[in-house]
Amino acid sequence: MKESKIIYILTFSALCFTLVFCLTPLIYMFITSISDNPDFLAENKKFIFSLQNYKSLVLDDSLPFYKYIINSLAISSITALLCTFAGGLAAYAITRFPLKHKSFLMILILAVSMFPQISLVSCLFKMMSSLGCINTYTALALPYTAWTLPLSFWILTNYFEKIPQELDKAGLIDGCSRIQILFKIIYPTAKPGIFSAFILSFIFSFNEFLFALMLTTDSAARTIPVGIALFEGAHGQIPWGSIMAASIIAVSPVILITLIFQKNIIHGLTGGAVKI
Amino acid sequence: MNKNNFYKLSYKEKKVLFLFLLPLLSFIFLFVFIPILGTFINSFHRDLTFLPKKFIFLDNFKRLLTDNSFWQSIRFTLLFTFISVPLQLVIGFIFAILLNKAIPFRGLIRSIVLIPWAVPAAISARAWELIYNYNYGLAQYIIKSLGITQNQVNFLGSAWSAFWALILADSWKTAPFIAIIILAGLSSIPQEIYRQAKIDGAGFIYIFFKITVPIIKPIIIAALLFRTIDSLRIFDLIYVLTHGGPGGSTASASIYGYQFFLSGEFGYGSCVSVFLFIITFIISICYIKTARFGEKI
Repeated sequence: MKESKIIYILTFSALCFTLVFCLTPLIYMFITSISDNPDFLAENKKFIFSLQNYKSLVLDDSLPFYKYIINSLAISSITALLCTFAGGLAAYAITRFPLKHKSFLMILILAVSMFPQISLVSCLFKMMSSLGCINTYTALALPYTAWTLPLSFWILTNYFEKIPQELDKAGLIDGCSRIQILFKIIYPTAKPGIFSAFILSFIFSFNEFLFALMLTTDSAARTIPVGIALFEGAHGQIPWGSIMAASIIAVSPVILITLIFQKNIIHGLTGGAVKI
Repeated sequence: MNKNNFYKLSYKEKKVLFLFLLPLLSFIFLFVFIPILGTFINSFHRDLTFLPKKFIFLDNFKRLLTDNSFWQSIRFTLLFTFISVPLQLVIGFIFAILLNKAIPFRGLIRSIVLIPWAVPAAISARAWELIYNYNYGLAQYIIKSLGITQNQVNFLGSAWSAFWALILADSWKTAPFIAIIILAGLSSIPQEIYRQAKIDGAGFIYIFFKITVPIIKPIIIAALLFRTIDSLRIFDLIYVLTHGGPGGSTASASIYGYQFFLSGEFGYGSCVSVFLFIITFIISICYIKTARFGEKI
């Protein structure tokens, strides 16, 4: 056999492995969600198509998943906005002003997101309950922002560095303040970077679990990962159909984002790693 | 740009610089540094609900030394990390090599590989819970269809099988992340090098280990560092899939500490967290020493 043929077969089998590996759980999740009975793989059972699980999500008040999804979307959007704003300010400062120990400061900021969450969550809980914030969006959006800021800061720094400083100087000569330069010149020029930072902070806060678990005590304030993780059903039997239907609805925004903004996400994720 | 002309900045510019850094620094200070500091202080206290807080200095740490369940959780966390991360590196490498090739629908396949990474771990863990279901799960079905065994297998029922069930579910989510990082490294290698190596008669395996790996070594180590840190603090997957069971055999350090926060033992729980923090710190330093990050910046 020729070498090119071997390579072809290897590539093809790696491709099949990749697709099966990545998609099986999701397809299984989807099939269960449109099945009348979750045990369709057991002996003597058959798959019966039904949309009952999706209907019950809308009609049944004991399944408050839509509330969880709204909570999650709201908290993640607030976080992503705060991250691109505060991260952008800092990235601008670090790329435009001469500063001592710049790389040390940058590594220090990145190190923040490497702490184990468990080592801050108890104090965050006490802090938020003394402020009376538990069960509000604030209780989650603020720690999430602090948590994902290092990432968005790194992404934005990467992008801002590439923008020539002549643009700033032109702006300064025209009498713009630094903040005007940032929002009127730099942000529009670095749009893909802003996008990457926004999307990645959104995904990270949408996926976060431990803070969301500890900092919400009321079930109505839960985010969707916590809501789905803790859902056990009323009668001892786990309602797998409803859980999988809710999961499909919950993951569809992130899957859509991934499909559409794949390039931005990859850029954002790899920028930092390649740089180190 | 000159490196050290910070002192040449005008007062007004210094003020602007400070104001621009202020939001980021205050977020991190308020919601990361103060809580961490609080946890450190708490770990020296007896901090139980309904009892007054009391300074007991190292008593919590003394209790740690003789707490077998704690050492079990540390052992599990380290074992889990040092088995799952290399495994994910191998799978990630396969994905990355594939995605670097000129295959049809490359963009779409890249997106598909990213999806497991983007799905919340707590939600995919629920799907894995159903896959491992004792009565009618997909894993049960596959094992029977392949004729491996005709008996029902309780995947989450024994310490050994639950461990590997967790590793598989974790690898599903994180191998794509490694793949994406390594892919960035692979695509930065000029094709010219490969062509030259082939002309010189170098084989497949030789090219991989003697050319590809050395060139992207810093990127591999960066990916390993991120993954190791992430794996040491694993919580959501285990919380949903096994709850640390059976019999505490799959309780990670984060799960173990969380149980104390849940029951109101904040002092001892903080002590567990501080220990995990220190382990993470030491392992990160080891990585950074081997990779010598920062020399290029």
